[in-house]
Amino acid sequence: MKTEPKQRLDPRAKLLWRVTGTLQAVPVLVGGVFGSYVLYASAEVALHLAVLPVLGALALAVLLVGLLPTLLWRRWRYEIRPLEIDLQRGLVQVTRTLVPMARVQHVDTRRGPLQRRLGLATVVFYTAAGPNEIPQLAQKTAAEVRDRIAELTRTADEL
Amino acid sequence: MSSSTLAETAERRLHPAGMLLAALATVRRWFGLAAFPGIAALLNGEFGMRTLLLVLLGIALIAVLSVVWGVLSWRATTYQVSGGAFHFKQGVLQKSERSLPLERIQSVDTVQGVVQRVFGVVGVRIEAAGGGGEPEISLSALSRPAAGALREELTRSTRRASTEVLDEPALLRSLAVRDLLLAGVTSGQIGVAATVVFGAWQAVERVLPRDFAQRLSEAFLPRTFSELLLLLLAVALFSWLLAILGTVFAHAGFTLSRSPDGKYLHISRGLLERHESTVPLARIQAIRVVEGVLRQPFGLASLRVESAGFGAERGVSTILFPLIPRREVGEFLRIAVPEFAAPLDNLKPLPGRARRRYAFRSALPVLVLATPYAVLFFPGGLAGLLLALPAALYGLLRYGAAGQGLDLDRLVLRFRRLARTTVVAPRGRLQSRGYSVSPFQRRVGLATLKIEVASGSGGTVFRLVDVDAKVAEGLVEALSERARIV
Repeated sequence: MKTEPKQRLDPRAKLLWRVTGTLQAVPVLVGGVFGSYVLYASAEVALHLAVLPVLGALALAVLLVGLLPTLLWRRWRYEIRPLEIDLQRGLVQVTRTLVPMARVQHVDTRRGPLQRRLGLATVVFYTAAGPNEIPQLAQKTAAEVRDRIAELTRTADEL
Repeated sequence: MSSSTLAETAERRLHPAGMLLAALATVRRWFGLAAFPGIAALLNGEFGMRTLLLVLLGIALIAVLSVVWGVLSWRATTYQVSGGAFHFKQGVLQKSERSLPLERIQSVDTVQGVVQRVFGVVGVRIEAAGGGGEPEISLSALSRPAAGALREELTRSTRRASTEVLDEPALLRSLAVRDLLLAGVTSGQIGVAATVVFGAWQAVERVLPRDFAQRLSEAFLPRTFSELLLLLLAVALFSWLLAILGTVFAHAGFTLSRSPDGKYLHISRGLLERHESTVPLARIQAIRVVEGVLRQPFGLASLRVESAGFGAERGVSTILFPLIPRREVGEFLRIAVPEFAAPLDNLKPLPGRARRRYAFRSALPVLVLATPYAVLFFPGGLAGLLLALPAALYGLLRYGAAGQGLDLDRLVLRFRRLARTTVVAPRGRLQSRGYSVSPFQRRVGLATLKIEVASGSGGTVFRLVDVDAKVAEGLVEALSERARIV
C-alpha cells in the first residue's frame, strides 16, 4: 500500500476537463456580470464594490478551466493487478479504493460525444454495490483495460 | 438445470378469494379518488335527497363494476411452472405474460393481510435477481397448501434433492411479549410519529369546513406558555403511543428460524398482517448491531442484516431481530449467522489525536450558525454560542464509541450516529475497501476508512473517520485477496 498505483489517465483528459470546465464557467460568468450590473446600475453601489461579483466569477472560472483539470489529472492513478483494481483520485481529499477482481461482475467502455472527438473513453466496471469508473483513457488503452479486467475476473472466478 | 426433477405443472388459478381481493383493490383505488370530495360535500351540509341518491348510486356502480372486474381479472390470472421457468399471465384488457427462469428466483415470501386471513389464504411474493423490469411478481391469494407446493417447486432447482429433509425449520429465537413492548417503548420513533401527527392535523384542517376548523383550533390552540408546554407534552405522548403501536403491529410474534438444510433464515412477524420472509444465508453481506439512544442505557440492541439483490430499492437492511440484550448478541450470532460471529467488544479505539477533531467537527455547524446571531445581537446573542458545548460533547461521545477490529477474515467497525452501531463484514463480502485523506487529516496522520458492501440492488458504504493512517493502510492491506492466499 506504500506505492501509488502506477498508471495515469491520458494527458488529453486535461483538455477535456478544460472544455467541460468552460461550459460550467459560462453560466457562472453570466451570473457574475448580471450581479455586478444590477448592483451598479440599479442599486447604485460604488463601482469598486459592484465589480466584486464579476471578479468572483472570474476567479471561479480560472479555477475551473485552468487549475482543477491539472490537479485532477495529477492525482488520478489506477492499476489493474491480477487480484484487484487499485484506484486513487481526488482534488483536496484523496481517496484510495481497492476492488477485488472476484467482486467485479461486468465491465464496459463508454464514450461521450466530446470523448469521441478527443479519442478518449471511460472504463466502467460493476460490482454488486454499483459502478466504478476509470475515466479519460485513450480509446485503445481503454479497450485493453476493459479486456484485461474481463479476462482477470474470469480467472478470479475460477480460483 | 440438470436436475431430473424439473417440475411440470398445469396452468393454475389463484384461490377464488383472489376475486374479492382484486375487487377490493379496485374499490380502494376509486374510493381514494372519491373520498375527499365526498366527505367535504357531506361535512359542508350542502346535500339534499338528490345528492345523497347520486352518491349512493355512484357507490353501487363502483361496487358492481369492481366485482365484475375482480371476477374477470381472477379468470385472466394464471400461473404455471414448466420448462424450468415460472410463467405468470395476468391482465383483462392489457394482457401480460412473464416468464422467470427458476434459477433467477431469489426468494418466495408469503404475506397475510387481514382479508387474506379471513379466507385462510396467503399472498405470495416472488422476487427475482436484478435485471430490468419489475423485480417481483405477487400472487394475491393462494391456499396454504398451494402456496407450500409452489414454494417447493420454485426452490427445488436451487436446493439439492438429496439434502431435502422434511424436518420443520428450527426455531432460533422468538420475541417475548415483554420484549415486544420494550422494543416499542424504546424504539425512538417518536420523531417520525410526531411528523405523522402534525401531517394528519394539517390534512384534517384542509378537509374540514373552515369555520369548524377555526372553532376547533380556538378550542385547542394554546394561549399561554404553560398551555403550549402541555400541548407539546400531549403530542409527544400521543406520538410515543403511536410509535409503540407501530412496533407492536410490525413485530408482534416475531420469530426467526432456520430451514432444515441450514441455508435459509425464515422471519415471521406482524400482528394483523403476517409477514413471512426468507433470507438466504449466502446472501447476507453484513450484520449491524444497532444500540439506539433509548436502548443502549438498558443494554439492549436490535440486529439488522444487509442482504444482496433484494427488492427494487438499494441499501435496504432487513431486521434480523428487533430487540435482544447486548450481552446475548455474540451467542445469538454464533447460532444464527456463524459467518458473522466476530467478537464485538475489545475493539481498538481511535488514536487520541482524533478526539479534538471529533469534538470540533460536531461543534462546527453550531458555531457557523450561532456566530452571525452572536454578532447581530451582540451581548445577548453570545448565549447561542453556548450550544456548541453540548454539540462538542456529542462529538466526544462519537469519538468514544468509534473503534475497529479485525478478527480472522472479519472486519468489525463501530461508530455512533445517535445510535451506536457495530458492523460486522467478512472479507469475502466487501465489494470494495479503501480510505480517504483530507489535508487536515494528512497533517496529523489520520484517514477515513471506507468499506462497501452490497445491499438491496445497490451498495451501502460504512465509514470510520479518523483512523490512524498507518492502521487504515494496514487494514486495507490485510483484507486483500493476496493476504488470504499466503
